Amino acid sequence: MTLAPIDYAILALYFLFVLGIGWRLRARAASSSDFLTGGHKLPVWITSLAFLAANLGAQEVIGMAASGAKYGIMTSHFYWVGAVPAMLFIGVFMMPFYYGSHARSVPEYLKLRFDEKTRGLNALSFAVMTIFSSGISMYALGILFEAVLGWSFTASVLLSATIVLIYTYLGGLTSAIYNEVLQFFLIVLGFAPLAAMAVYKAGGWGGLQQRLPPVMTHSWKYLGDAHQNPMGVEIFGLVAGLGFVLSFGYWCTDFLVVQRAMAANSMAAARRTPLMAAFPKMIMPFIVIVPGLAAVALANMSTGYSIPTKGDGLDYDKVLTSLMAQFYPSGMLGVGLTALMASFMSGMAGNVTAFNTVFTYDIYQSYIRKNAPDSHYLKVGRITTLAGTALSVGAAYLAQSYNNIMDLLQLVFSFVNAPLFATFLLGMFWKRTTGHGAFVGLLAGTTTAALTHGLTIAEGKGGWIAPMFPFPSTMAQNFRIAICAWSACFLVTVVVSLATKAHAEETLHGLVYSLTKKISEEGVPFWKRPVPLAGIVIVILVMLNVVFR
Amino acid sequence: MLDLRIPSGYFFAIVGIVLMGLGILFPDERALLTPLNINLYAGGVMLLFGAILLLLARRKA
Repeated sequence: MTLAPIDYAILALYFLFVLGIGWRLRARAASSSDFLTGGHKLPVWITSLAFLAANLGAQEVIGMAASGAKYGIMTSHFYWVGAVPAMLFIGVFMMPFYYGSHARSVPEYLKLRFDEKTRGLNALSFAVMTIFSSGISMYALGILFEAVLGWSFTASVLLSATIVLIYTYLGGLTSAIYNEVLQFFLIVLGFAPLAAMAVYKAGGWGGLQQRLPPVMTHSWKYLGDAHQNPMGVEIFGLVAGLGFVLSFGYWCTDFLVVQRAMAANSMAAARRTPLMAAFPKMIMPFIVIVPGLAAVALANMSTGYSIPTKGDGLDYDKVLTSLMAQFYPSGMLGVGLTALMASFMSGMAGNVTAFNTVFTYDIYQSYIRKNAPDSHYLKVGRITTLAGTALSVGAAYLAQSYNNIMDLLQLVFSFVNAPLFATFLLGMFWKRTTGHGAFVGLLAGTTTAALTHGLTIAEGKGGWIAPMFPFPSTMAQNFRIAICAWSACFLVTVVVSLATKAHAEETLHGLVYSLTKKISEEGVPFWKRPVPLAGIVIVILVMLNVVFR
Repeated sequence: MLDLRIPSGYFFAIVGIVLMGLGILFPDERALLTPLNINLYAGGVMLLFGAILLLLARRKA
């Protein structure tokens, strides 16, 4: 694929705008809370689009098209079973505690609700994970641009990291969020025409159904038996593992996304953030997954298009860019690549801004220097932004040289993340949960995850203790690990909590459901109330699942 | 505080105008698999979107 000067001009124009937004917002970073939390001043339309965009990194966009080509419309479960229900749950049930507790971060909520050690554990693992996942997505972008455009790995990594660094350094979280909204618009406008043209060329949905095996155009029909579908998963593993444990664990507890909602200008806006975000989120599969299906259909027609290959196998990660090369002339091609760059930047800025907040407040202010003036923490926040970006770049190079280390790290992170939601669920809805219970529960959950991995085997992965339980795919195995980890954490937290001294009730006001005043919704129109909004989303969600069953 | 609709509006308006310009000046510039003059149409949509954002920002101010 070759870019014309006009394509580079569009990319440059985009860089100019993101830097300009950062520059205009530089005065918005006068205190540590302005810089790191946005000062709670943003309207809901901005926070909700940023809530989506921070998660819509390049890996997500490329990976969803790849998964669409590999597994078909079943990939939509990541949205219609996974993300969206969890987004409704955090908006309706959990946001009152995050926003109402005035915590500045998710780990800080754990400190208020439980104790210092639970916060420390969460803050530390989150900080390390954020750096590595930012590095891994930077690496993914670097090798993609190297393969598709012939850009040097170093050039694309350094260029994109520098631009993200400049605008987050200048305007802090507000600047990152503003740019995420611009990036979201660009992602939709840059990819939607591709999806529309590719599907049209393949004969619409009917054409896709004709040209693809039925298992690729049904999301539920082949889930009864794990051996009938290419994902190798069955209903229980999917709904409990992906739909409940993993999705709720991510969308309801990951500070990267929660931070966007916490930046909203009121409690009502914070609750509506994930709910309003759920509407576009439901539509995203048509933009990011369906092109993958269309690519397979086009490869089956005599169009001259074929799925890119790598060695003997197919290289699904290049499906999206290969479609762009076929459907976009110079001009639109520049927009499409800029959109890809934008998706990468929104993901990276999300990581960097979550990292600097957790490091500054939950690690530095808690363990290194407690009672410094605010200007000191602002400075630390800025330095951390710089250091976080540098460390991410380092992680990208580490990923380039030692792929295995990265695989191992991602595995360890998944062990740490799997039990998290049990801790939050118990903490928010059962006042008897104690700090000791939460802490021991988390450790038990992570240990269980590792043990489950050691006892199960799929595609040659796991089984390092004894390959006792085989699974048809690593995805099915991951779902099962998550379910076991969550259950262990839940049980151990309950048992240890009952065995330890309860927290005094007066310390739990605003942190636990039964001790928090219900929010009055008198006089609020129904379309601004969380429960009716969630109801509308559920109706659409059910319809989508039925139509594509 | 900066109204985000203004820079976003300008960005999409400019990109839209550039794409439409390409679509009009080089109507034969087509991608391999589509007969559509996609620069013209997608550019039109972006220009419209940018204009709406700018209008909304203006109405409020």
